[in-house]
Amino acid sequence: MKAAFSDLQRGLEPSRTPVSWGLATFRGRFAEISGGEATAALTLTMSLVAEAQQCEEPVAWVTGRDSGFFPPDVAAVGIDLSALAVVWAQGALEAARAADLLLRSGAFGLVVLDLGTDDDLPLAAQTRLAALAKKHETALLCLTRKERERPSLGSLISLRADASRTGRAPPLFRCETRILKDKRQGPGRTFAELCHGPDGLS
Amino acid sequence: MDRMACLDLPAFPLQLLLRQHPEWRGYPVAVVDSDQPRGIVLWVNAPARDARILSGMSFAAALSLSGDLRAAQVPEAQIDRAVAAVSRRLREHSPHVEPSEEEPGVFWLDASGLEPLYGSLDAWAAGIETDLSAIGLSAVVVVGFRRFATYALAKSGQGVRVLHEAEQEQGALQDVPLERLAIAPGIRDALAKLGVHSLGEFLRLPSEGIRRRYGKAAFDLHRMASGELNLPLQPERPVAPVTARLILDRPETDVERLMYLIETRLPPLLDALGERGQALEELRLLFRFERLGEHKERIRPAAPTLDARQILELIRLRLSAARLPDGVEELHLLTRAVSPEQRQLELLAARPRRDLEAANRALARVRAALGDQSVVQARLSSGHLPENSFAWEPLSRLEPARPRMRLQRRLVRRLYRRPIPLPPRPRHEPDGWMLHGLEQGPVTRVWGPYVVAGGWWVRALHREYHFAETRKGELLWVFYDRVRRGWFVHGRVE
Repeated sequence: MKAAFSDLQRGLEPSRTPVSWGLATFRGRFAEISGGEATAALTLTMSLVAEAQQCEEPVAWVTGRDSGFFPPDVAAVGIDLSALAVVWAQGALEAARAADLLLRSGAFGLVVLDLGTDDDLPLAAQTRLAALAKKHETALLCLTRKERERPSLGSLISLRADASRTGRAPPLFRCETRILKDKRQGPGRTFAELCHGPDGLS
Repeated sequence: MDRMACLDLPAFPLQLLLRQHPEWRGYPVAVVDSDQPRGIVLWVNAPARDARILSGMSFAAALSLSGDLRAAQVPEAQIDRAVAAVSRRLREHSPHVEPSEEEPGVFWLDASGLEPLYGSLDAWAAGIETDLSAIGLSAVVVVGFRRFATYALAKSGQGVRVLHEAEQEQGALQDVPLERLAIAPGIRDALAKLGVHSLGEFLRLPSEGIRRRYGKAAFDLHRMASGELNLPLQPERPVAPVTARLILDRPETDVERLMYLIETRLPPLLDALGERGQALEELRLLFRFERLGEHKERIRPAAPTLDARQILELIRLRLSAARLPDGVEELHLLTRAVSPEQRQLELLAARPRRDLEAANRALARVRAALGDQSVVQARLSSGHLPENSFAWEPLSRLEPARPRMRLQRRLVRRLYRRPIPLPPRPRHEPDGWMLHGLEQGPVTRVWGPYVVAGGWWVRALHREYHFAETRKGELLWVFYDRVRRGWFVHGRVE
């Protein structure tokens, strides 16, 4: 009894076992990657884009016009910019509409919705997108800007990760992802990797 | 005897530029191959020549001679469009028009049999010149008998000139300076050393000797000038585009009913294209509203197609996104077609897991729903400012990715389209440098400055870039603009 109780206690602690951060984890799932002030969400999502391109999976990036990834940084991690379709959408609803059209084709391996702070996706749209992602085995990622304490986009999110920069070992930065919600394997796992800064940042 | 005319629009790209910027008239103006200090000046106007600016100079050197210089690029696509527009206009004056493939801005027209229609060829040629000046283009028109002769005289003359006798034409040709013709500079300079400056002097040289000494190009020039080689007019044969026009009995405000009308008219258009062996590349919908006038929409399928269902789906997406603001009185369907490439060999190739054609069709649907400019790709360029180091270009077709092997993992920045101004930095900061207010805390570490300066040839810029880390860990990419004297956030490391 005592042993079982200790197991229970251990189960509540976050597991430090490294998990693989790869496209396979997200395939066919509606996922959310968020980050607060010291976020690394964009960096870690770009590593998924790079992996998708290596696996010959077409990628689409849906974003607003006011801000977006800095293409020279993205090219520096090996991504082929000419094969990264960027869709400009105004607001979360238009982004969801674009994602619907893209997912419905079943031709994309990864679709990223860069929502930022505008993450008000209606439940009906989420239901449709989640079903399409599952049907076509497409990884559908929503990039949001929020602290880990705040709730995810909705109950249909299959995996929620919080990505942050947690430390520095000059000239490298430590980027850590913590799984806050995972309907398949449970929460609490972490993944970490070391990244160089952009030119001028070390 | 057949009559022929040559029309020359001198310094055609420069004329297009001045038509685009009428406020530049009176200033030194140049066409450059790129809007950068090392760009080469291609064409200059008279005020620029007065300032000793010549074609072949670098843009920076030209600016050092005149600070008032206005310069810009004229893209090749714009020149091609203008040539096509002038050709269409010239076809109203002559049934046969041939635009030059080598020199944009040179056209040959068939002038035979037009004299009774216009009274005289002088009146006909003057009419052409007046017509083109009405659209802001200055032209030289020479009416003669031979293709090369009219071209050479147009290149060396001004206004309108009509030659009534073939001998008169050959006589006038003698005085044409060689430097006015499109002749290789090496041959021109070699002939100048022999004291040969005009066509008349050139014609007095033996043709066989020219062939042996200066090659085939000079030999052909000699034959054309002497009349031995005379190419006939090779006019364009424009094919009328396949179009449909609907005039509605009463203004239509319902999208569904309008869609039904389009559904009935589109298949015959596609059949007509199919009979020509072509496929639809773009469909233009021209709406004439009851009160709001005309409105155009362009529909582009992912690849040229004759599939009516696919095109109708794109039209439906576009019309449902843009509701009809007024009753439609008239609707034109204009097709742009291409001859499809043969793709049978692709059937033998191994197919990837995902269908790229389906991806392109999906992107075409997104374009139809959100607008033509909504699907883009990034292309890196050589600008030294962060916002100029890349450009967003419309993505016409998604191709298989060719990613590079990743050498190292790197943090990626988010860039704001417009830098966000920060409040002025106070002289005394008891709590440290607060970028965002109290919540994020003060800046704890700064990397930089990294100076980006330049642009003096257009608008001086001096930015000092820093990476600033706040107490909460936010890494902002900020710069101090010395010209505007203020701090801005340009991006953040994410």
